[in-house]
Amino acid sequence: MVSELRSGEGPMASQRGKRIAIVVMFVLSLARAIVAAEPDKVATFEHDIWPIVVKNCTACHGAGELESGLDLRTVAGVRRGGNSGPAINPTTPEKSLLLERVVKREMPPSKHGRLTDNELAIISAWVKAGTIAEHPDKIPGAVSLVRDEDRQFWSFRPLTRPAIPRVTNSARGRTPIDAFLLTRLEAKGISFSPDADPATLVRRVYLDLIGLPPNPAELDSYLADNQPGAYERLLDRLLASSHFGERWARHWLDVAGYVDTVGFDTDATNIILSEGKWKYRDYVIRALNDDKPYDRFLHEQLAGDEIYDWRRAPHFTPEIRDALIATGYLRTARDMTHEEVGVIPQNFFGIMHDTLEIMGTGLLGLTINCSRCHNHKFDPIPQEDYYRLMSMLSPAYNPNAWLPVIPYEAKIKDRGLPDVSPTEKAEIERHNAELDRQQAELRQKLMEIRDPYQQRILAARLDTLPEVIRADTQAARDTSADKRTEVQKYLAEKFKEFLTVKPEDVAAALSEDEKKSVAALEGQTAELEKSRRKWGIVQALYDVGPMPATRVLIRGNELTPGDEVVPGYLRVLCRDEKDALGAPAPVAEGSSGRRLAFARWLTNPESPASSLLARVFVNRVWQQLYGRGVVPTLDNFGVQGQPPSHPELLEWMACEFRDGGWKIKALIKSMMMTTAYQQASHRESTGSEGTNAKSTEADPEKIDPGNELLWRMRLRRLESEVVRDSILAISGKLNRTAGGPPILIEAKPDGMVVVAKKALKDPSDEYRRSVYLVARRAYNLSLLTVFDQPLVATNCLKRDASAVPLQSLMMLNDAFLHDQAAALALRIAREHSAVPEQQIEAAFRLVLVRRPNANELETCGDLLRKQIELAAREGQSASDAAHQGLVQLCHTLLNTSEFLYAE
Amino acid sequence: MNRVPGFFPGIGISRRALFQKSMLGIGTVAIAHLLDQEGLLASGSNGNEIGTDLGQRAARFPAKATSMIMLMMAGGPSQIDLFDPKPELQKRDGQTYPGDVEVLQPGSGNKTLMASPFKFQRHGQCGTEISELLPSIGSVVDEFCLVRSMHSDNNNHPQATRCLNSGKIFPGRPVLGSWISYALGTENQNLPAYVVLRDPDGYNNGGTTMWENGWLPAIYRGTEIQSRGAAVLDLHPGFSVPDGMQRNNLAAIARLNEERRKLYPHESELESRIRNYELAARMQLSAERVLDISGETQATRQLYGLGNPTTENFGARCLMARRLIESGVRFVHLMVPVKLGGNPWDHHEGLKEGLEALCPLVDLPTAGLIRDLKQRGLLDSTIVLWSGEFGRLPVSQHGTGRDHNRNAFSSILAGGGFKAGYVHGATDEFSYKSVAGRVSCPDLLATILNQLGLDHDQLTYTHHGREESLTDSAVTNARVIRELVM
Repeated sequence: MVSELRSGEGPMASQRGKRIAIVVMFVLSLARAIVAAEPDKVATFEHDIWPIVVKNCTACHGAGELESGLDLRTVAGVRRGGNSGPAINPTTPEKSLLLERVVKREMPPSKHGRLTDNELAIISAWVKAGTIAEHPDKIPGAVSLVRDEDRQFWSFRPLTRPAIPRVTNSARGRTPIDAFLLTRLEAKGISFSPDADPATLVRRVYLDLIGLPPNPAELDSYLADNQPGAYERLLDRLLASSHFGERWARHWLDVAGYVDTVGFDTDATNIILSEGKWKYRDYVIRALNDDKPYDRFLHEQLAGDEIYDWRRAPHFTPEIRDALIATGYLRTARDMTHEEVGVIPQNFFGIMHDTLEIMGTGLLGLTINCSRCHNHKFDPIPQEDYYRLMSMLSPAYNPNAWLPVIPYEAKIKDRGLPDVSPTEKAEIERHNAELDRQQAELRQKLMEIRDPYQQRILAARLDTLPEVIRADTQAARDTSADKRTEVQKYLAEKFKEFLTVKPEDVAAALSEDEKKSVAALEGQTAELEKSRRKWGIVQALYDVGPMPATRVLIRGNELTPGDEVVPGYLRVLCRDEKDALGAPAPVAEGSSGRRLAFARWLTNPESPASSLLARVFVNRVWQQLYGRGVVPTLDNFGVQGQPPSHPELLEWMACEFRDGGWKIKALIKSMMMTTAYQQASHRESTGSEGTNAKSTEADPEKIDPGNELLWRMRLRRLESEVVRDSILAISGKLNRTAGGPPILIEAKPDGMVVVAKKALKDPSDEYRRSVYLVARRAYNLSLLTVFDQPLVATNCLKRDASAVPLQSLMMLNDAFLHDQAAALALRIAREHSAVPEQQIEAAFRLVLVRRPNANELETCGDLLRKQIELAAREGQSASDAAHQGLVQLCHTLLNTSEFLYAE
Repeated sequence: MNRVPGFFPGIGISRRALFQKSMLGIGTVAIAHLLDQEGLLASGSNGNEIGTDLGQRAARFPAKATSMIMLMMAGGPSQIDLFDPKPELQKRDGQTYPGDVEVLQPGSGNKTLMASPFKFQRHGQCGTEISELLPSIGSVVDEFCLVRSMHSDNNNHPQATRCLNSGKIFPGRPVLGSWISYALGTENQNLPAYVVLRDPDGYNNGGTTMWENGWLPAIYRGTEIQSRGAAVLDLHPGFSVPDGMQRNNLAAIARLNEERRKLYPHESELESRIRNYELAARMQLSAERVLDISGETQATRQLYGLGNPTTENFGARCLMARRLIESGVRFVHLMVPVKLGGNPWDHHEGLKEGLEALCPLVDLPTAGLIRDLKQRGLLDSTIVLWSGEFGRLPVSQHGTGRDHNRNAFSSILAGGGFKAGYVHGATDEFSYKSVAGRVSCPDLLATILNQLGLDHDQLTYTHHGREESLTDSAVTNARVIRELVM
């Protein structure tokens, strides 16, 4: 799957399970045919009749005023009938009134629509089958659209912990995860590859955990650690690194669809930021570094504002502030209300639709957005369920009390919140007012000292003017600009410079004592200024205004609202109908408690939703570490998604994760402690361990050419940010400062996007980690875009990993690469002798984290010699030529394919 | 994985083997390509290894066409208002459409027939009627085949766009341009086989997915070329080094990559990456020369509407497309301007004003391209396809627009052996549904491949153990529509 700009309307079921989809569609069409042709195959009111009724009938016979007293929403209503009597005749169904009216095409009235022949056939078959007589009458209201068998689909079922399989070659497995993989490999007569060479492995681990390669000292210290548990200690050390959060936050920010900009962000040259939005990015980094459990992480992001009574808190603790910032997760959708013309209901609902899509794919791996306009065509997600979920957003994205994303005029209140409590805000204001008062006093004293000198200097200057214009000039100076006569204007302009007494003129005239006093007063003013306090802005989501009703939008259109929905959850992820009605969580006044209740429903291990939540998260982490999900369709765990390649493995890991307390670092570590992760990515490796593979073993390349069973580690191209950050780490230029407002980027006229150097506070900020650059929906840094940083329409569940010529051109020709190669050459020259072999080895160890082999040494030796000769022929001095040669070598190594992959 | 038994008998060479033998670097590779192109290198023992490079390859059988330009009209142009006049619809304006209407969005529930606000005129020798909105396209009607009986599998943009580009509605499949590059390589080794000229002002909806390689090797993905500013970002070094240094670097990069690649004999992506460096080096030599349109004559510039702000955007890209084809690029994918939106033909409302604003942006340049190719003798060997992903309904939406219609749309095919001055197929009396001579998207793709000398059932790629093809005719029933071609 690739990241894709969503196309306006209608969601697409996006996954590759094409054959499954075809089968499903085929089966569906077959089912219809059977229904029409064979009355005894009629299914149920809920599944076959209900969709037709909703589309054609309930506008008049189901909502609000019931025409002719007929309510067609339920079987009971059908049985009861309307003013003309029961709609269905239970004894002779073929004489039913309902049938008569639809067959004669009296109903629905032609101005409202027309049943298709197929729909007519289905209704006829259902009525004639007479099953209504046996239909239990107790189903109330909107009858169940989700059946128990729907809840038995593999991804909707509650988790059950599978037994760890026994494997033949148990020596080749290190952890239960290996056992699940090995049992499938052994069934095919193959096994894992030998362990990867330690240098390869350590680079892989560094890139995966912190997104930066190890430097030679780090590599050596690992290689020198011969004690048992060295590998685990390496993982623990990197999991504890503050760079871990920077690396893994990027994954989550993709899932959340985080960008720093507002609106559609379509103009390359115009970046619109919303104040303080970046704090959410830093929150995610911090949460991951702190190993915040996934359930807590989600509670804060979905309902941080409902966890604490921040509206009445005397002061904001860091916890309150973080919880408010965390709700930035619900603020990532494209919000067009920064312009007055954008403040329209269509956009309000668009933001909620996008947010639900982001939540659906990112948290549950479901294309719930398909249910925006109609019941989901493939998954058991009725349209009503979609709007039940929307009801948790609508008190905050309240269409009746809209807050724009940026105030388009000064008076308008926007959605940003101060990051301090009202009490603290008042206190800060008081404090600053006192500061202003004291500073005013000091200014007065300063003026008292300076003013006499100023007057004297001015008078002296006036005295030098010819007498004829002296008085007029003084008058011109003393008259305010808007009241000057033409002559005065002329004089004021002509003598502007002359009559302006500069501070340094006054300072020079002061006595020594006065100079001391002035210095002291100025010092005090500056000192006071230091104690000035500020508050910041956080971009949170919180309930506002009187609670709005949330209604089903017919065909997804906000102009045609239907029935009001009761807040609730996805029925298919609940035990039954009742379970799906979500009572709001008890929260402080001012909020509905709906989002907190939703967050608890998601994460409570007793809730079937937690099973899917765990599966989806575990699968995504697996994809990040192994290059492909156990379920390859990361955004679709529904019927149209691809089934898991290793179902039991997924179940086991999801159980471990959820029941072990949703510990993210432990989950990552468990996936990296395996033989599967530690094995070589190619078969010819001569690893020190794992020599058990028999020479008679079948050729895995023939048995499993796609490596779906993981008989070797997958070769993974580095993500865009890792490419850039690694280059900077290697050159030594990386600025490791964490957090803060984003570093600005700019689009050049030719389309190249680079860091905006003029806007940098410090030149070294150009080399901050990529996660701290402004994140846009499009027009991101060219170096990142060319390596598949996604276009963000809603969110991105999986990065593309293309190999196109533009990448080669950028690596060869971009000034950034050349600059970094030059910095790397200086670094090598500084740290090593000028012996070519040593320089080559140093360059290899820095760039590729290994030593060169004989062929490579020869190739690079040739290159170095040729380039130095060439530079010398161009007239460069010996030392310049030597440097030039080394730069070319460094540039060449950065251009190898190997550099771009985690092997 | 990428062996296709019997598809290209007798040609092909393992260039890896060449490297292993010679290790002389780039120069040798170039020679290898030349030899390869001329079929002078004997194949290895198991031969037939294709599909990892861009070396030119012969078609399966004698081909009418050797290259293609696809003008992608994203959004679903209204066939009723552009190509498919319906007197009955004009007569029954305001009445209720008598049958079922498949809609996507709200607003068409009343099924009120909406006559086209535009007149049609007969053009050329063939007398085909074309809307007054497209006078220039009308003026070249004798050069193209108008298919009025297209239909698609899905009613929404992403799916239908994929259906047109990749034969099916599902994501992740290779598109036409990728398949053609895979099958035929490219004549010009200094340029990508598959070039994308999107609007420099932005992406259409669907973005880069319209030129994705799916599971074909990444080298067959469309390469975006900027039609404004530097043709290709970083085409030339952004720093100064003595002449020859980069050549030395490239040779070393190639050797180092080959050395490492030995460990990964089955990773086609690494092979692509090696080729990308060769391509990058060659692109430097020729890309800008090809894309520089400043030397074109005044007459040519007028033909494409250059110098006129309305037609400049699309016209300049059409002209670049011709130059690219002339230079031996295999497939050029041109996207409709985004000035009026990412799906500009998507007129759910305000159809009249929308079409009046949009048609002039593309009408003249499209005709200019066809005329220019013809006068240069390139039209016989170049297929030009002008198409949206679906059409629009005969009933009104919100009173002023038309919703999507997958059951009927019109496409233009010029050159490449397609019949000229010919109209194929017909829709019903309202243009709701194609009824005579129906052509599905996979049918269209099969026919295009046929004109390029390729059999859509035999052009396959083994993906996860299954022989996959562009049209997957076992499922889609795709067939070559012989009536469309000479």
